Amino acid sequence: MDIIEKLRDIVGDRASASPAERLCYSSDASQVRGTPDYVVRPLSTEEVSDVVGLAAAEGVAVTARGAGTGLAGGAVPVRGGIVLDLSGMDRIVELDLSNLAVVVEPGVVQARLNERLRPHGFFFPPDPGSAAFCTIGGLIANNGSGMRAVKYGTTRNYVLDLEVVLADGSVVRTGSRTLKAAAGYDLTRLFIGSEGTLGVITGAVLRVAPLPKARRLVIASFSSAEEAGRAVASTFAAGIVPAACEILDRTTVAVLRRCDPGLRLPDGDVLLFEVDGSEAAVAEAAEEIAALCSASAASVAVVAGGEEMEEIWAARRLVGAAVSRLDPAKSRIYVGEDVGVPIKEIPALIREVAEISDRFGIPAMKYGHIGDGNLHVALFIDVLDEGEWTRLAGAADAIHRAAIRLGGTVSSEHGIGAARSGYMMEQVGSGALSVMRAIKKALDPRGIMNPGKLGLDDGPAEVGGSGCSTGADGTPGGTS
Amino acid sequence: MTQDQQEAKIDQRALEVCVRCGTCRSVCPAFEVLGWESKNTRGRVMVAKALGEGLAPDASVLDSLNTCTTCGICAAKCPAGANPPAIVQAARRGLVSQGIMTAAQAGFRAKVAGSGNTFGEVGDRLAWLSDAGAIKEKAEAVYFVGCLDSYRYPEVAAKTFDILRRFGVALLPDEKCCGSPLIRTGSSALKVIDENLRQIREMKAKTVVTGCAGCLSTLKSSYPPEFEVVSVPEFLAERLSVLRPRRLDLTVTYHDPCHLGRHAGIFDPPREVIKAICRLVEMKRSREDARCCGGGGGVRAGYPELSLEIAKRRLQDVPAGVDAIVSCCPLCIRNLSDAGAGVGAEVEVIDLVDLVARAIGPP
Repeated sequence: MDIIEKLRDIVGDRASASPAERLCYSSDASQVRGTPDYVVRPLSTEEVSDVVGLAAAEGVAVTARGAGTGLAGGAVPVRGGIVLDLSGMDRIVELDLSNLAVVVEPGVVQARLNERLRPHGFFFPPDPGSAAFCTIGGLIANNGSGMRAVKYGTTRNYVLDLEVVLADGSVVRTGSRTLKAAAGYDLTRLFIGSEGTLGVITGAVLRVAPLPKARRLVIASFSSAEEAGRAVASTFAAGIVPAACEILDRTTVAVLRRCDPGLRLPDGDVLLFEVDGSEAAVAEAAEEIAALCSASAASVAVVAGGEEMEEIWAARRLVGAAVSRLDPAKSRIYVGEDVGVPIKEIPALIREVAEISDRFGIPAMKYGHIGDGNLHVALFIDVLDEGEWTRLAGAADAIHRAAIRLGGTVSSEHGIGAARSGYMMEQVGSGALSVMRAIKKALDPRGIMNPGKLGLDDGPAEVGGSGCSTGADGTPGGTS
Repeated sequence: MTQDQQEAKIDQRALEVCVRCGTCRSVCPAFEVLGWESKNTRGRVMVAKALGEGLAPDASVLDSLNTCTTCGICAAKCPAGANPPAIVQAARRGLVSQGIMTAAQAGFRAKVAGSGNTFGEVGDRLAWLSDAGAIKEKAEAVYFVGCLDSYRYPEVAAKTFDILRRFGVALLPDEKCCGSPLIRTGSSALKVIDENLRQIREMKAKTVVTGCAGCLSTLKSSYPPEFEVVSVPEFLAERLSVLRPRRLDLTVTYHDPCHLGRHAGIFDPPREVIKAICRLVEMKRSREDARCCGGGGGVRAGYPELSLEIAKRRLQDVPAGVDAIVSCCPLCIRNLSDAGAGVGAEVEVIDLVDLVARAIGPP
């Protein structure tokens, strides 16, 4: 019996080896490519366990995937094998709000969880731009976050317990439903951000937070992005912690206006500070931030919640993909898009990105979670121009190296995947990488769990540092 | 290059607009039911692109492309500004021009070619017309009935014409299918378009009024812009002061047909007409966010189970306590009815014209 028949014995017609599925599961939103041999859509932990058990017996790679919205190729099967599409495991199993907890399957979409929680006065804070379609499993596997990480932290702050299928098909739980636990190694955190290289997350107990009673938005515009960066550093130095602190450089503002001409944003490089809490607290914090910014800002305005604020945030969430609205001949390519630095280095990072953009002749839109040092750089090119791809790769590499040099990270929230695996040695150092490789070896001795990611494979450094090219078949992903 | 080949050519730039961000996963109605990435908008764009790079069009490729209802909610929500329904239609066209198609696609071609209508009906298209004297040689405006109302809802055709003729609107003597089912499923519609166009020109009509969302979309986008295309709800909304409908003690909801709403931007006129007659309560998702009935794009004929499942999910958006669902597209009405609307305790779907006819007196 061949493997597809054995897979069908486990999941029935939810296993496919058709050309269309193999193609459509060969990428995420990154430029990484790798074609799976099989796609399986399990609906239960038992099915996942059986599929992984089969893969172990057959020596076939297994790559877990949620909504496939990743930006680093984490869910791309660069060594072929089985893609496990977990988006069908989408039940919200239990709302246990007296314990501040919810129990979910990995395929639950972030926004759907929050829709369920809202009437109860709670929310799950990590809120990536892709909240309307990304899955909780993907968020956990990449330690995703979003705009409100400044105050609320990242996904890792909200996971109490995981159910994980290990590389031999066995099932373990990593934590408990308690808000505190001190019982041995923190396996929960080990699996958070492990990008499916150690096991497949099939369930999670999440901590939730009460919804704030009020929100307010301070919108300040500056004469330069660097100036805006300095205003962020001085706000934090004054002891104010907003819920969100975003930068939209002038190019980003132009794109947003193109998408929604009615959007009320000022000219210049713009900072958005969101404060949340009680009515009195947000009024006070908004006033303080406005006062601090007005020293260097060209304009400062305060929006008191409501529709206008929601519209600005909704537009902000999707701006990353919207750059071609400005120039239909240009497409956003997600490379070098997720660097982060310590907050005080933000002005230096912005300066370097501008220089790199000029040097390589690749226009860059800068936006993102500046309040936690995470700058999303949107590089956009004419994808039909081969020369632009080469310069793009150079620019992305330079941005990654600048972040490391400034004491920062090549990825703040999108993950390493295959696109950034070549930076792992430089990023974490040989000692730490050896520890990671030892852990990988212990949990996945045959190397079947999402191989080719995180720089965990022994031997020479992973392909290309830029993220523009990788793939098991050696094809240059970016130009294919 | 033949005209067919030209129309089947997909603009490379249009394909590159998609950055595979996945936004469409949250809205594609076919994907919501089927769950496979190839049955989602993003997957279909990948398939269309790969076809140009040598992907062999097997059954899985055909199913990927042909399960799209062309509802356009992906285009409405796409942050990058992609137009996936146009890409899907061009990809279908490319394959059909090479003779590669599903049985349902071939069926549309054979039926329209053989009978001039989408059902292969051989009967008189104007059988519903009681007064043959209504056929005129010349008219400023004509009523384009459409295949569905002609053959499946003749009473709606009769009621519509009864109202329209009060304003001098006439009928085409030998109307053919507008071409929509052919264009949506990748075939050339030039023959029927030419046939309809010839009659519209001969009648010297400046305005074409239609009560079918699919016909409206096709008349607007696939016919030369020599005449104004007006939907029945627009026509009625502009003449409320003349029609003077009486109030009915009813509460209804309104289903936005994709090709009337998102594709043509006609959201308010049907609502104005309804509100002039009775109470309107919106569906859970409406206007730009309205969910598809599942019938369009050839999906009703090609993938009936999928089509009905999409319709059933749409019915879940109906608010409690309404007396009827009103719509302005016979395909939506048919698909929602087949999915259970009007059966047992479920409220029925009626055409806007049904509602108006109840609220106005004879001429």
